[in-house]
Order: sequence, then C-alpha cells, then structure tokens
Amino acid sequence: MKELYLIVGFAQIVFVIFMQWQIYLKKIILTFALSSIIIAAFLFLDGIMLNSTNLLILGTLTITIRGFFIPRYMLKMLNLAYKEREPRHIVPPAASIIISLFLVVLAYIVYHFTLYNITYIKAGSIPIALILQGMFLIISRNNAFIQLTGYMVMENSLFLFAGYLFPELPLIIEGGILLDLVGVVMISSIVIRLREDAISAITEQFEKFKG
Amino acid sequence: MIYYILPILFPFAASIVCLAKNYSLSESASLIASVLSITASLYILFLKPSYINFLYIDGFSKIMLVIISAIYLTTVLFSSAYLKHIKNPIISKSSYFLFLNLFVFSMLFSVSLNNLGLMWVGIEATTITSALLVAIDNDKTSLESSWRYIIIVSTGLVISLVGIMLIYASMHTLKITELLINKPSHPKLLVMGAVLAIVGFSTKAGIFPMHTWLPDVHGHAIAPVSAIFSSILLPTALFGVYRIIETASFDSVRIFALLLGVLTVVFASIFLISQKFYKRMFAYSSMENMGMILIGLAIDNKFAFLGAVILLVSHAFAKSSAFYTTGNILSIYKTRDINNVKGIIKTLPFGAYSFLLSAMAVAGAPPFGTFLGELFIIYALYLKFGIVSAIAVLIFLSISFFSLNHKVAKICFSITPEKQVQKKDEVISSLIPIINTVLAFLVIFFVGFINNILTSGMLK
Amino acid sequence: MLYFLSAVQLLFVIGFAPLAAGVFNTLTEKFESKKGPSPLQPYYDLYKLFGKQSVVPKVASSLFQIVPYITFSMYLFLTLVLPIITAFPLSFGPVVDFIGGGLVFGAIGTLKKIASLDSRSNYAHLGTSRTSSIGALSEPIVVLIFITFGVISHTNNPYVINNIMQTSSHWYFSLVHWFVVFAFFMALLVETGKLPIESHSSNEFGMIDQAIEMEYSGTELALMKWGGYIKQFILMSVFLNVFLIPFWVPMKIELKGVLLYAALHLLKMLILILIFSVIQSTVSKYKLFKNFEYVAMAFSFAFLAIVVFYTIGGAM
Repeated sequence: MKELYLIVGFAQIVFVIFMQWQIYLKKIILTFALSSIIIAAFLFLDGIMLNSTNLLILGTLTITIRGFFIPRYMLKMLNLAYKEREPRHIVPPAASIIISLFLVVLAYIVYHFTLYNITYIKAGSIPIALILQGMFLIISRNNAFIQLTGYMVMENSLFLFAGYLFPELPLIIEGGILLDLVGVVMISSIVIRLREDAISAITEQFEKFKG
Repeated sequence: MIYYILPILFPFAASIVCLAKNYSLSESASLIASVLSITASLYILFLKPSYINFLYIDGFSKIMLVIISAIYLTTVLFSSAYLKHIKNPIISKSSYFLFLNLFVFSMLFSVSLNNLGLMWVGIEATTITSALLVAIDNDKTSLESSWRYIIIVSTGLVISLVGIMLIYASMHTLKITELLINKPSHPKLLVMGAVLAIVGFSTKAGIFPMHTWLPDVHGHAIAPVSAIFSSILLPTALFGVYRIIETASFDSVRIFALLLGVLTVVFASIFLISQKFYKRMFAYSSMENMGMILIGLAIDNKFAFLGAVILLVSHAFAKSSAFYTTGNILSIYKTRDINNVKGIIKTLPFGAYSFLLSAMAVAGAPPFGTFLGELFIIYALYLKFGIVSAIAVLIFLSISFFSLNHKVAKICFSITPEKQVQKKDEVISSLIPIINTVLAFLVIFFVGFINNILTSGMLK
Repeated sequence: MLYFLSAVQLLFVIGFAPLAAGVFNTLTEKFESKKGPSPLQPYYDLYKLFGKQSVVPKVASSLFQIVPYITFSMYLFLTLVLPIITAFPLSFGPVVDFIGGGLVFGAIGTLKKIASLDSRSNYAHLGTSRTSSIGALSEPIVVLIFITFGVISHTNNPYVINNIMQTSSHWYFSLVHWFVVFAFFMALLVETGKLPIESHSSNEFGMIDQAIEMEYSGTELALMKWGGYIKQFILMSVFLNVFLIPFWVPMKIELKGVLLYAALHLLKMLILILIFSVIQSTVSKYKLFKNFEYVAMAFSFAFLAIVVFYTIGGAM
C-alpha cells in the first residue's frame, strides 16, 4: 500500500507540474480529471485492503463527482464562453515549473523538521507539497478556471492525505467537504463566466482595488 | 430540545419557499423567518446550554445566534427597501432572498454544531451561498471582487481543513465536547493543527496575512450584503477561531492568535489613513475591529473574553448601521469616492447623524458598547503583557479613530453642492440604521447579562 | 581479449551509427505515409561527402579545419569507455566515469561552437547561441541524473550502475529509477535534436544544432555528420543499457555472448527508434522560447527523482 501511495502521490505532483506547464484550459481540466480518477482508484484499493466501507463510498463519490461531474461541468462552461487558452501568465511557465518543483522540496524540508518527528511517515510531505503547489497554481495564473483547478488540486491532496492517514475519519465530514466543493464549482462557474466575459485584458488594473 | 434548532430551521424553511421564484412571496417569507428566528434565539438565551449529541450551544453560541438573527432581520428589512436600486442583478431578486436565507442558515449552522469538521463545512458553505450576493450588482468590479472572495477564502479554508485534520490526528475525534475534555495524544501536533486552522479561519475573518479579499468585497458588494458580511460573517469565522483556541488552549497558540490580531489592528489602522472610498474605509475599520476581537479571544482572561463578545455584539450593530447608510448615500450620489460626497447633512438629515454616530461607534467612542469592549480588552492586555503593549495598541486604535471620524465628518458636514440640496430620506432605509446605532449603544446595559450567559455552563 | 572487444565495439558503433539514423529517417517518413529514403541513405551521403572538395571560409582560422577531426576522434574515444555491447569495463573503461564522459561531451560541444564562431557566418552564430542557451539548461539535467545514480550506486561508473540495474529488481522498479528514465528520455530528445525541440529542415527558424555545421563542406562535413550519428548512437545506447532496458548485456568476458548481444542491441535500438519516430511524427515543434519550458519539465523529473529517493528513505 505504501508503494502505491508513493506512486499515486508523485503522480499527483507530476500532474500539477504538468498543469503549470500547459496553457490550454481543456488539457488542464482533463489532467485534473485524470488525477482525481487515480485518487479514487487508490481510495478504492485502500478500502478493499482495509475492508472499510467508508473508503469505498468515498472512492465512489470521488470518482463520480471529481472525476466526471466537475470536469464535465467545467468543460461545458468552457464551451459556452470564450477563449480556451491563457496565453500570458503572471509568472512565466518555465519559472513557474521550477518554482513549483522547489515547493515540493520546501514541503519536504518543512515536513521533515516539523511533523516527521511525530508521525514517522516518510511520505507525509506529499500532501503538503500538493497544497503548496495548488496554491502556487492559483497565484501564478490569472485565468479563473485555472485558479479553480488549483483550488481543487489542494482539496484533492487533502482527500489523498485523509484517505491514507485517517481512513476512519467520519464520512459525514468528507461528504460535507465534497458537497462544498460542488457548490464552489457551480457558483464560481457562474461568476467566472461573467468575469471572463467582462475582463478581457489580463493586466487590467482596478483603481478601486488599490490600498 | 427542538428549541435549539429552531433558529436554524426558519431560514432554511424560508429558502425553500424562495424556490417558488416569486419576489413578494420570498420577501415576506424571509421577513417572517427572520422575525421567528430572532424570537427563537432570544428564547434560547434563557435556556440551559446544550451539549447533546450533535449540538453544542454554549453562552458564546447563544449570543452568536442572537446577533446573527438580529442582523438577519435588519438586513432583510433593508434589502427589501434597497433592492430597487439594482438595475441589472446577476440573479433574480427572489434568488437574492434565497441565497440570503441560505447564507444565514449556514452561519447559524456553523455556530451551533458539535463538530469541528461540520463547522468547517458550514463556514465553507457561507462562502458558496454568499458569492453571488457579492456579485449581485453584475458589473466588472463586483464580479472580480466576488471571484477574489471565492478563491482566496476557499484557499484559506483548505488550510484550516489541514489544521482540523491534524487536530483529528492528535485527538482522534472532532466532537467539540470531547475535544475540550480529552487530552491530546500529540500536543505538538495539536498546536500545529491549531495554528493552521487559525490561519485558515482568519482568512474568512479578514485577519492580517490573507485579508486582501475583504476590502474588495466590502467596497463593491451592495450595502445590505456588506453589512451582513461585516457584522456577522466575520464574527462567525472568528467564532471558529475561538473554538480552535479553546480546544488547543496552549500559550503558543494564544500568542500566535494574539500576534495576528495585533498585526491586523496595526495594518488596518495604517491603511485607514489613506482611503479614498468610503465603503472600503469601513472595510478596513471592520478589519481593525476583528483584530481587536481576536486579541480579546486570544488572551486567556475573563475580561478579555467578555470584552471581545461585547465588542463583537456592538460592532455588529454599529457596522451594519454604517453600511446601510453607505447604501443610502450611494443610491443618491452614485459614487464611492469620499471626495465627491459632500454635505449629506442637507440631503440625508437623519442619515447623516446616524452615519456619524455609527462611525463613532465602530471606532470605539465612549458611549457605545464598542468602547467598553475595547476597554476590557486593553485592560486584559495590560494585565497580561504590561503597559507598553497596551499603549501600542491604543495608539493604533486612536489613529484609526481619528482618520475614520475625520473622513466621516467631512462627508457629513462639508458644504453641500447646490444641485443636491433636497431631502431624500426614505423612511425604512433611514430608520434601520438609526435603530441599529441605538442598539449598539444599548449593549452597555446588558454587559452583566452577557457575562452571566457566557459564564453559565462552560465546559472548561 | 579486452583489446579485441574494444575494437569490436568501436567498429560496431562506427558501422551502425549511420544505419540507426537512416532507419529513423525511413520510419518517420513511413509514418507520414511517404515512401521515404532507404535506411542506407546516410551511408550514401557520407560516401558522397567524402568525395567532395572542401571549401573553407576565407576569414576562418586553421581551428575551423581541425575541429571536425578532433571531435570525431573524441567521439571514438567515448565509444571505448561506455557500456554499449558489454557490461564489463573494456580496456579503456577505467579512464573516465559518467561525469568524465559528460565532460568529454561538453568539450566536444564547446569545440564545435568555437569553430562555428570562427566561421563568422550569421547562421552559425545563431546556432551557437541557441545551442548554448538550451545546453546551459539541459546540461544540469544530465548532471543531476548522474548524481542521482551516483547516490543510488555510490559510484559514477556506468558499468557498475548497469550491473546494479540488471541484478536489483528493487531499484529497477523503484520510482527513482523511472523518474530518472523519463528525465533522461526528455534530455535525450534535446541532445539528439528530435522533434519537440528541433526540426531538421532547411528552415533556419527551427535550426539549433544543425546551424553549427552550416559552413562545413566535403570531408569535414562528413566527419561532423558521422560524429553526430555516433553521438546519437552512443547516447541512445547509454539510455538503453543503463536506464531503460539494462538486461541481457553480457557481464562475462565471452566473445560469443558479446557478439550475440551486439545483434540484440540493434533490436533494442530499433524499438527506441520506433518510439522516437512515433514522437517525431505526432508532436509538433515548440516555439524556440517554449523549449525552456520543456527543459524545465525535464529538470523537474530529474529533481523529483532525488526527492523520491529521500522520501522513500534513502538506500534501502
């Protein structure tokens, strides 16, 4: 199980770096779908190994909601509106790939000096790295769809984390988290669509947002 | 037992009625629900604290229930008067009430549950339900601020979810009743989780490092939404912070929270000096007040806690009053710029006085409850950390006091341009701010009562 | 015996390097539903070029003329020290390790750049600057990969690494190894000038390495080209024998086994070429400044390998 967790975890990290590289929104969303499906499969296997119904339900929920429903919903939104790629980034892609990579190292170092002394789980730095990377994905891009994907990457990593470390976490909480995620995606899609229509230039400055 | 869930149920029922998509129906349903829910929460005040399976209602929760329902009521009243100024809403006006009810529902939900995880779910749900309320104006800036709100707050809340998971790892439970009693298996893990959770919930409360969404949202949302955000949403998030501090009542956690609070006060008061837009100015004033409340919650002292709650209550009334009046000003002057709004004493005579008084109240002027709250907090700060820190905080408080009141006085009493000299006061929309300002003053008579409620039946 | 095997390896590489390039060209064209040149085309090209007269720019110094001979011989030297058809060090094997080999590669690159600068042709200068800027970023990847293997095997000797990979299924199936494989594969595409990075056409927009030999002709050009084929062959062999498929490389000093493996090696090579040509005909070229993003990706893979190594807890 540990090896599988490692493979899934590092696959997630690679996926985020790949998202950092891409400029086509569709590819980024599909990458997210793939990574969710992998996480769901992992939760499933974990559930079978530990014989835990909780994890099986969680895996099913993950695959339906994160793997299929949300990406499809986002792609549908994408078709309705506008440009499907983001040509200019706040941080240049090459630099952002490297920064994303160093966030992984940072997470490893931070984890090693803080939590490792308590948990003694070597691979515990992966979720931290993913959270930092997701945050950086939000910061480094100006496109709202990508920012939303970054947010979902952060949530995904939490699911991986929780599924691996605390399989006995009450299902109602995880269900609530998932419900919230759906809500965030639905609501923000409405806002995003109008926003992307209204805000064409990326570097548009808002005088009213200063100070 | 059913009484405890009543205030939560009413807004939910009203939101179901709102699904009918009938404007007047949803308006009256919301009004009825808010009246019922304030009645129910006032009734709960006199009941015993409840620690049953999934509800955890202690003194602080009771006061939060009352405040949330009270502001809910005034916001519904003010919204029905104000909504006619919105020309091109992003959602229909009945959906506005739908989301308002759901928003209040999720806040009431968050403050009364006996589970940190579900409390997180509730606080995240407030983001979802309120995002469209922020964007209701449907122009570029409000859409942009709504999106910033969603993404920054959600990101912050993910951090707090990590914290909650770490708390779970150390305590093996998320039930607040058990968290308060049990001993942690890994105190260090608990501290780390608490710190992360505090950072996350503070994002929602507009506390320093991740506050950037707050001025944008308050500056561009419509007045009733700004009011409900500033007066009860931010305290609800601080309520989450308080639960975390209560759970992990270590010195390091408390110092960390205190530091965040102080930084927020410093930062907000410095930024208050240079504000050009009046709604944004009040947003920074909210930040400053939240910083003070957080300081009060962080200090492990009876006075500080009482002061924080009093400040929270009276700030809720005063700030909602101030924001309602900004809505009235905006609907007449059509500008958010302080320099273009002159002499509202002539155009909005009632509005001008309530505006001035509420501005003094949010800045902590003597007759109001905020003054008392800040006094308690500073006294507690003095007891714990000596005179220097108390004076330092006082200096920043007075900076914000002078810059805020100077600007508000300029808006109220400068010479009115000729073309605008005519009375435009409307009855309901100018009455509500006045009532709220008076309530902010009346809080001082209830200090003993609040203290009784807070201290009766505390678990820890 | 070792000397003899060295000679065999040398001849093997010199002889089959143009064939590998030819097969690659044929397969790529076939993928595009064209007939394609014969796989032997590079041999014809070389034969033709050796028969031609050399023209040297008037302004060039004698360095320009010497460099093809030097670089070609350096490639031959590299052939003798890397595990291509044997998993045991040949007689020159102990001379350099991976880092040394990398240095020789670097020296060849530098000499070529200096010589092309010496020709004072604008195209050659353009190629030099492009190669240098991409190389400055891709060299660290290769170094990083060698360091990772050094950490695993406590040595930089390619033969030792090959033996470890052949015998230890733990390392072969570890995530570290596969990250390294992927990173090296991406670097290999850069080093051998394959498609997402460089397209070999007469269009100067896509030229990187190709522009360097712009001013050469006749025998010198033939040597440059042949050297290029050898470089590609060596790198691909190293990739196959140390990284991707380290199996079956003979570890015992035995003539029959080595010769048998030599044939097998061509088969391995064919698979790799097939992969290359699939990429070549499905991927489109990046804009020049997008190459750096590609290199950054490759660097991330190489670096992640080290992170994985420490995450799984170092040597197990």
